[in-house]
Amino acid sequence: MVHLFLAACLAFAAPPTAAAPLAPAPAAGPLSVALVPAPGAPVRPRMGDRLSFHSVIRNGGEAPVEGLVAWVSLVRVDRGQEAPVDLEDWSAQKAVTLPSLGPGQSLEADWPMRLIQAGDYRVVVSAASRDGSALAASPLRPFTVARRPVVESRRVVPVALGLPGLLAASFLPWRRLRRRRP
Amino acid sequence: MTPAALVARIEARELLASPRGRLWLLLLSAALSAFALLLVSSTELGLLDRAQVLYAQLGLVTALGALLAVVQGADAVAGERERGSLLPLLVAPVSRGAILRGKLGGQAAAWGATALLALPYLWAGGASGAGLLRAGALLLLLGTPVVLTFGLLATGLGARLRTVRAALLAALVVLLLSASPLLLGPGLRQTAAGRAFDLVNPFSHALNGFDEVVVDSAPLAAQVVHLGVVVAWFALALRYALAGVRKVAR
Repeated sequence: MVHLFLAACLAFAAPPTAAAPLAPAPAAGPLSVALVPAPGAPVRPRMGDRLSFHSVIRNGGEAPVEGLVAWVSLVRVDRGQEAPVDLEDWSAQKAVTLPSLGPGQSLEADWPMRLIQAGDYRVVVSAASRDGSALAASPLRPFTVARRPVVESRRVVPVALGLPGLLAASFLPWRRLRRRRP
Repeated sequence: MTPAALVARIEARELLASPRGRLWLLLLSAALSAFALLLVSSTELGLLDRAQVLYAQLGLVTALGALLAVVQGADAVAGERERGSLLPLLVAPVSRGAILRGKLGGQAAAWGATALLALPYLWAGGASGAGLLRAGALLLLLGTPVVLTFGLLATGLGARLRTVRAALLAALVVLLLSASPLLLGPGLRQTAAGRAFDLVNPFSHALNGFDEVVVDSAPLAAQVVHLGVVVAWFALALRYALAGVRKVAR
């Protein structure tokens, strides 16, 4: 099962390419990770919009990095609601893996996500390798998701359950009448 | 009271005051409830803009109204014949046109009840104040001719095909085809065949009118073309039904 997941992740990852001109975070070990919003991303994203980030993981060392895995994390930073976000509904692309990343090579990946809830967020892509002892992480990228007027369950549920109930209750007088008839 | 009004009153009472008619309303309400609950239980659908939800609801209400009108229309002549009540109706001192107007009045009453039933759902979907009024006006202006067109088509088919089953089947096939834009994505409707179909299909004109007013915020007054097409179809269906009812032999 895990192998299937990793294989799917590999399918989404772009092949290793030459280093892209992105500003990476200070390197921890041979890996460095740069993260920017993908081209075409909405300037003021709203709930329901799709937003994508683009990362470049570069091996700046002189030896290949084996068993590379990179993953995306999202935290909400609204005052009083600071919490990591469960990406289950937000993104189907949560990690990429690569068996080996040669010296000077980089791995590019896109991280598309559907914006589920309004709020202030920070996104980060982290990378680790099989033998590495330190975590490489991109700079935190902030973004804000604006509220959108969507369907509210507190309006829908009473109507959706109440109206059929009322109509069903209107059958009761007939049933009583029918019972009273000889 | 005119004979047509009398027939319409009997037909309307059949729907609103009988257990069978109320069962219909209960089923319509259950369908609208299921759609509304689907919207709030699905993360994907729950993120739809209110305008898109309202547009989808208006399409669904029109389709349900047309379905009810088709059932009533198929029953209007063919059903009377199968129950043996057509002959007393035909020998009564009432013109065929008045009978048809009465049956049409019954279908209009059923559509009115459906539209009224839908209003709380439209409110629950996010329409309120002016938005709710606009949605009601759209149902009245574009929904009514479409719904009654299908009712009249089924009435005409019932007069010609003689059995409720045959008329219902034929009218339902036409309704399904006509309401297919509800299911087809906009991409499929952009092909040459799709555009040609949209051009002549009254259901497509109603849906496009809903889309322009609700989603694109176009004024109601700008829907003249859509209104013209659906009214033209209503007039054609009226002629078809009237010719069918006039041909009915005693």
